[in-house]
Amino acid sequence: MMDEGSEGTFVLMSEPQHLARLREWLRGEFTRLNVEHHEQFGLQVAVGEICSNSIRHAYAGLGGKPIHVSVRGSDDRLVIEVRDFGKKFDPQSYRPPDLEAVVEGGIGLHLVRQFVDELSYDVTQEQGTRWTLVKHRRRG
Amino acid sequence: MEIQVTQSQGVTVVVPSGDLDMGAADQVRRVLTELIDKGQLKLVMDLGGVGYIDSSGLGTLVASMKQARAAGGNLKLCALQDDVRSIFEMTRLIKVMSVHVTRQEAVASWG
Repeated sequence: MMDEGSEGTFVLMSEPQHLARLREWLRGEFTRLNVEHHEQFGLQVAVGEICSNSIRHAYAGLGGKPIHVSVRGSDDRLVIEVRDFGKKFDPQSYRPPDLEAVVEGGIGLHLVRQFVDELSYDVTQEQGTRWTLVKHRRRG
Repeated sequence: MEIQVTQSQGVTVVVPSGDLDMGAADQVRRVLTELIDKGQLKLVMDLGGVGYIDSSGLGTLVASMKQARAAGGNLKLCALQDDVRSIFEMTRLIKVMSVHVTRQEAVASWG
């Protein structure tokens, strides 16, 4: 179900019940990297939303498919990568949510952007999408 | 996720405990839909035991709120933890959902 490597990587299976294990792993990584507590929550939400999108859209709800999450940090930034191997993200199909309309869905990426400084995606691999989330760190 | 349902002054109080994420959203939706279908339309959800919510959890609450309002009731929220409250603020749901500080206040608001 999961593989915790020595380089800050976690392999999540594409089932919603495993998201709690991912958050537990992220808390450990963020603590190891001295991420402040109030920022940990937002980053967990951001990574969780990307993984939920992979489960729902890239894998169309199919379980048992891998999602790789890695975390690395330096003095000035945290970089989190989420990689799935399913259907590639199609920016043409994405519609920003109308928050005035009290929507029931489609706000995941909006939430991600609230908690990270940079969000990018790469669909040049043969399969799937690699998402990169960057959070700048305040010095001293 | 554990979900307790109690009655208080004619109001149905739903008390989930745990993370309201994609893995728990369907369970919460089923509980709320069942209550609404049974005509229990004065609903309060006490989120004091919820330390994490994602867009799936929010979607479930919005859908249930709409369902309750369409039937003549409402789903009111209370006791949001700071992190969870920040999510409601970012999505502006804090403006359209009825959110109260305490359970007593939320129950009393039904008059």
